[in-house]
Amino acid sequence: MPSIVNIGRRVELVPIDTHFHDITIALYLEELDACTVFRIHTYSRKDGASGRIQEVANSMHVLGGMSEFSNGKIFFPCGANHEAACRRVFLEACKIPPNTPTEPRPLHTLDKKSKLMMTVDSLGSGSYRVTSDGEGRGAERRVSAVAGGLMKLGEMNAGPENDSNTVSFACGQSHDALVGLLLVRAPNVRVIMREEEASTSRGVLSAPSQQI
Amino acid sequence: MDNENGETIKAMTGRERVLAALRNEPTDRTPVCNPTSVATVELMDLVDAPFPEANREPELMARLAATGYTELGFDTIMPVFTIIQESSALGCKIQWEQKDNWPTVKMREPIWEDVDDISIPNDFLTHPDIQCVLEAIKILKKEYGDEVAVIGKTMGPWSLGYHCFGVEPFLLLSLDDPGKTKLALDRMKEATVQFGIAQIEAGADALTLPDHATGDLVSGEYYQRYLRDLHIEFVDRIPIPLILHICGRTVDRMEFIAQTGMAAFHYDSKNEPQESMEIVQKRIALVGNINNPETLFAKEPEDVRAEVVKNLDAGVPLIGPECAIPLQTTIENLQEIPKAVQEWHRDHT
Repeated sequence: MPSIVNIGRRVELVPIDTHFHDITIALYLEELDACTVFRIHTYSRKDGASGRIQEVANSMHVLGGMSEFSNGKIFFPCGANHEAACRRVFLEACKIPPNTPTEPRPLHTLDKKSKLMMTVDSLGSGSYRVTSDGEGRGAERRVSAVAGGLMKLGEMNAGPENDSNTVSFACGQSHDALVGLLLVRAPNVRVIMREEEASTSRGVLSAPSQQI
Repeated sequence: MDNENGETIKAMTGRERVLAALRNEPTDRTPVCNPTSVATVELMDLVDAPFPEANREPELMARLAATGYTELGFDTIMPVFTIIQESSALGCKIQWEQKDNWPTVKMREPIWEDVDDISIPNDFLTHPDIQCVLEAIKILKKEYGDEVAVIGKTMGPWSLGYHCFGVEPFLLLSLDDPGKTKLALDRMKEATVQFGIAQIEAGADALTLPDHATGDLVSGEYYQRYLRDLHIEFVDRIPIPLILHICGRTVDRMEFIAQTGMAAFHYDSKNEPQESMEIVQKRIALVGNINNPETLFAKEPEDVRAEVVKNLDAGVPLIGPECAIPLQTTIENLQEIPKAVQEWHRDHT
């Protein structure tokens, strides 16, 4: 007999998993005493659905540097919430086809706008500095933009005053894999915003008069 | 059991509760009612009945609709998720979409240009997309008919006009030629009546009648001129409680709507519950108002609860979402509606 389970607050949704029978996969968040636990869940009872959930959990483990309980439960080793970052990890993990080896993303990426290589170095205690292989005001602007992108995507804090290139996690812990994953999208956060807008308007029924 | 008015009422089934509220009679508690869809992508997975198939196969349609009662705890089951079943049967081209989106009529490819083009096909009621609804209602009536109200839906002629003529041409016709517009509505209304009566025969307890003279495009005066008398006629010809649905801000036409004899008006969150109740003055029940795109879709259960309470405090007799809910709505927000209603009554008796 199917039934709804109380597994916390849903924070992200992939309505159609094109890699597995178009099932819906959701990310739920549960605040426990000592840490925030995320749970990957589907209500689908199709054969193999639980295996697909485990695959997504495995990918999140690699891409986000997250630790796993069982049954699709996953958490950051620091125990902190990092909800926005986890949502990104989840969305990226769901894009990976089954049986595909997953590697952590490197701490450098090519910024398509400036054609510069952006690199992120860990400074310890959850702080990271963005640098590029270019010089001049254009390069500085892009480095700041990438740092700003990391702040936005990972809900990270700005660095000290007069240092727009440094960002840090409030938990004070390093999250290298997570930063590597966020770095891929950090140079162009607007694309993500547009994707999110498109995603939220999909599935909302409008009156015929508004469907012109 | 005492209700919030101090009246002693025996415990009711969901069906009894909804039908009593639609008759403006006392209830043991305020019914939770969805005159339109509460389907979500997660509920589709739960019962393996995804869109678009759940709009075209009766067993899937019934299975998905039943979750509104079995999983969410509403007092109604409403299987007609879309607004396009009749238009499909009339010959409109349909974009059936995927699991995560609503089917829509391709209104840029209208099937009629002139009033004389209007024709209800002889096989209208046997069209698969009509039969799907009728079969689903039969299934639901058999399985849940003693427990909850099974609500069907038949689209009004103004909505059919948008679908079959295109929104812009139909609105222009209404501006340029009121006589032809009335004739068009008069001809299209037969589809509304035929489908409505067929759903009654299939076992529906009440029908939602969406007629999208929406607040953004059509004035209250327009409603009075073109639709009030037609809606009165529907009440005469479709012998079952009717729930009129119009989106948007509609306080400028609620007085006219209250004159129609419809059992209820499914109203939008753009209207304040208190001001709406003051206009209709128990001549017609109100239902709806819980905001979809912001509250149910994007906020938390406590926000849903606040809107439920606002409606209950205003004396709104049936509680539910304002329109078909977004397909990605969280289950916990939907479950909060009946939960909040029950707790409000516990606090007020």
